[in-house]
Amino acid sequence: MIEPSLELYGDAYERVDQQLQDLLDTTGVRYGLLVDRKGFVLSHKEALWAPRPPALDSVATLVASNAAATAALANLLGERTFSEQIHQGENGTLYVESVGDQTLLTLIFDSSVPLGKVKVYAKKAVAQMSAVLDELKDVPAVQLGDDFNKGVNALLDDLLG
Amino acid sequence: MSTINFAAREINCKIVYYGPGMSGKTTNLKHVFSRVPGHLRGDMVSLATEDERTLFFDFLPLDLGTVQGFKTRFHLYTVPGQVFYNASRKLILRGVDGIVFVADSAPGRLRANAESMRNLRENLAEHGIDVREVPIVLQINKRDLPDALPTDMILSVIDPSRELQIFEAMAGTGVGVFETLKTVSRLVLERLSKNK
Repeated sequence: MIEPSLELYGDAYERVDQQLQDLLDTTGVRYGLLVDRKGFVLSHKEALWAPRPPALDSVATLVASNAAATAALANLLGERTFSEQIHQGENGTLYVESVGDQTLLTLIFDSSVPLGKVKVYAKKAVAQMSAVLDELKDVPAVQLGDDFNKGVNALLDDLLG
Repeated sequence: MSTINFAAREINCKIVYYGPGMSGKTTNLKHVFSRVPGHLRGDMVSLATEDERTLFFDFLPLDLGTVQGFKTRFHLYTVPGQVFYNASRKLILRGVDGIVFVADSAPGRLRANAESMRNLRENLAEHGIDVREVPIVLQINKRDLPDALPTDMILSVIDPSRELQIFEAMAGTGVGVFETLKTVSRLVLERLSKNK
């Protein structure tokens, strides 16, 4: 295996999804994402009042890359990791916190939302999400089979000639 | 290994374009971006220096479509080719599912090709990946150069045992770009369907 895969199944997914939603409801955060360390979006929620979100693929990729670079910096400085990242702009804040070794909780919110409040609730959510994700370690490996292979090959022919 | 999200019904695969500086990795992505219909691709993100050399990576998400209810998506990355950006290259290889090695046919770049391939093997090893575990396709780029090196000469330094699939390309005009991407994609998905 090249890298541990994170396969989110129904119940676990719904619980993580609900925790993200609760976090948004409690704190007034605009967007909440759970991103894996490779830069893929596992789950995302947005507040009802929020405008159309930015390109989530790009956000996830940059967050994961930034986290990887930050972790490399931490190692250079003799730290095991820097568990959270905060980027504050004039109008908004990006807050990223590790959820175990495989995922990153990413929150985007306006400057009117107190950072301290977000951090307190985020840490509670991280603890709960970590517990759910730990359960997924025992999930059996997925079997997609030959039919899947035939299907994707047909799509590749369509897309790339 | 690819990320499979059952609840969201998504499969995501990461393909990395690797190779020496200026070999044409970003040009490959730009061609894909320009030719794939807008609804099947996302924004291209380029973290580059002022003179357009890749600083950290380029990124392009590509939607293949839905198979057996799973939305299948590729994330294409390039790495910075310059020798001194190795820390960035190593980070980008995390979780890689497939690699396109873009070799440069220019006469003065034989050693750079060899060093980049060695660097790839070393960086994969640091992630605990045996080079034989991950699908790799070779693209011998810039075949339109008037003084392009013979393909055999390039292969003798980057794939002496002739184990990898090879495509000759001119990424600037798009020749060989889709063929290369299609092959590495096939290898990645084949591996995924066999759950290796």
